[in-house]
Amino acid sequence: MTTCFAYIRAVLVLPAFLLLFAGCQPAATPDMPGKPRVALIMKSLANEFFVTMADGARAHQAANPEAYELIVNGIKNESDLSQQVAMVENMVATGVDAIVIAPADSRALVPVLKRAADAGIVVINIDNRLDEAVLASSGVSIPFVGPDNRRGAEAVGAHLTMQLQTGDEVAIIGGIPTAFNAQQREQGFRDAMAAAGMNIVSVQSGSWEQAPANTVAAALLGEYLNLKAILCSNDNMALGAAAAVQQAGREGEVRIVGFDNIEAVRQLIAEGRILATADQHGDQLAVFGIEAALRRLRGEEGGDGVLETPVDLVTAESGL
Amino acid sequence: MKTASYVSLIGVLILITAVFGLATEHFFTVRTFQTIANQLPALIVVAVGMTFVLGVAGIDLSVGSVLALGSSVMGVLLVDAGAPLWTGMVAALGVGGLCGVASGYVSMRWSIPSFIVTLGMLEIARGGAYLVTGSQTKYIGAAVSGLGEPLPYLGLSLAFLVALLVAAGGHVVLTRTVFGRYVLAVGGNREAARLAGVEVKKVQIVVFALAGLLSGLGGVFQTAYLGSADPNAGTGMELAAIAAVVIGGTSLMGGRASVINSVLGVLIIAFLQSGLAQLGASDPTKRVVTGAVIIVAVLVDVFRQRRTEHAGV
Repeated sequence: MTTCFAYIRAVLVLPAFLLLFAGCQPAATPDMPGKPRVALIMKSLANEFFVTMADGARAHQAANPEAYELIVNGIKNESDLSQQVAMVENMVATGVDAIVIAPADSRALVPVLKRAADAGIVVINIDNRLDEAVLASSGVSIPFVGPDNRRGAEAVGAHLTMQLQTGDEVAIIGGIPTAFNAQQREQGFRDAMAAAGMNIVSVQSGSWEQAPANTVAAALLGEYLNLKAILCSNDNMALGAAAAVQQAGREGEVRIVGFDNIEAVRQLIAEGRILATADQHGDQLAVFGIEAALRRLRGEEGGDGVLETPVDLVTAESGL
Repeated sequence: MKTASYVSLIGVLILITAVFGLATEHFFTVRTFQTIANQLPALIVVAVGMTFVLGVAGIDLSVGSVLALGSSVMGVLLVDAGAPLWTGMVAALGVGGLCGVASGYVSMRWSIPSFIVTLGMLEIARGGAYLVTGSQTKYIGAAVSGLGEPLPYLGLSLAFLVALLVAAGGHVVLTRTVFGRYVLAVGGNREAARLAGVEVKKVQIVVFALAGLLSGLGGVFQTAYLGSADPNAGTGMELAAIAAVVIGGTSLMGGRASVINSVLGVLIIAFLQSGLAQLGASDPTKRVVTGAVIIVAVLVDVFRQRRTEHAGV
């Protein structure tokens, strides 16, 4: 019985000690004049997009071995928030100088990142932007370094409208409606269509995937015989729409644009079956965050704003 | 009795067509029906396999993932290895069949419910699809799309015609052969079938192998139709297939199954999807309506059956 209590006490007290310890560490060890240590905390490393990001970061570090040390971590499952929170705590405990994080959730990670920032660590937010209201209410400012999906989509849309005439019928096939980047891309498309006076006849979800986007595109082609363009919020859906247009025999008549510049669309862009897409430079996204963190550590940059990274328009002419 | 059940499903189908025909401008056209037909082959063959699986009182949750794995293997062979089309097709069918045999064998050998084993296979095959493609969509293009493109004059694709042949074949096997009788006997009363000398486990393994093989074929059709192999293909397809088969009046408890009714179930689901998209319905609306129609279609079948039972017996 007593051993049991002792065990419980130990279990309760130990983490408290560790936390105390972790909290003290940055103050206890004065900043070493040597290389800064940057922790990159990703979402799932089973996801191609984040693997590309992490590989880009590793290559950058290998090219600049004098500038900093890099520790890359990822969680197993994209929705496993507690694992990512624990990872941030571990990094704080080991006394890194900067944390560059792609948060698995835009709200739940704020408290632990605030603790890290309070401990004097430079924290940079990449990929999924932290909720501004939650950041404000918890009294912490964490800069976001990343692409503006809305502006990228707007650029793609604007390129498309150069091939169309005012009042032409267009349709938008969006991603999963609850995803932030899906909303941003759809809004960017809407901005561009409104600016050029296009007639948006339908906006539907294609769930980010080929087959559902194909079903929607085929139905739209059946219903709107004067449809001139389909704007898709990612390239997989653009592939689905391209198949629908081909099967309806309306190639050249209905134009398609996408987003992401995945390898599979490059041939279709070269053939003119997809007009344009946007490249947000996935391999550089983590690098941009790391560079921002290093500038802050050197005291070259302050503030807490947004650092926008480039999103480039990709067309047959722009080269691939 | 069977003709009566065709009639109620065709009634539901006509009703859906009428509603969309009135609500939209261009739903009631030959073009729309041709377009829908050419989208169907994958779901039709998967639903045929699922009909046999439910017939033996099993369930196969892995069909969508196995379809994606077959499609991915085919895509990688054609794009990265430069293999000829037939090699890719054989590989997709082989991979599908192997997955089915594995699920069936593990489930029967150790008497684990097929729900659990195929849930595991769902994860394994999806993971495999990501692994072989490196999580990237493979664009194949003209080398494969001939199978899925509408034929001149007919407006229907070769894949659709093959899928109809598969469905007809499945119907004959289930209703006119010894194997078909065994399937329904095993599903209806496993113990009685065993005592009557049916090799119960063997029948079930063959049924799962068939479902896997047909999922692989579905992968070939999907790849041909979209001209590319997507490792995310077929997500949630198991639910669409189960819904189609159950709408067709096949019992989840086994022993009662009809391939033709399953194909009608596929048509109902496909007409709904296309009609709602043509109408421009929002994503939440589509889901609510589709769910409601599934329940109503099954209810119609249940009431019709009760009536014939009261009247006939």
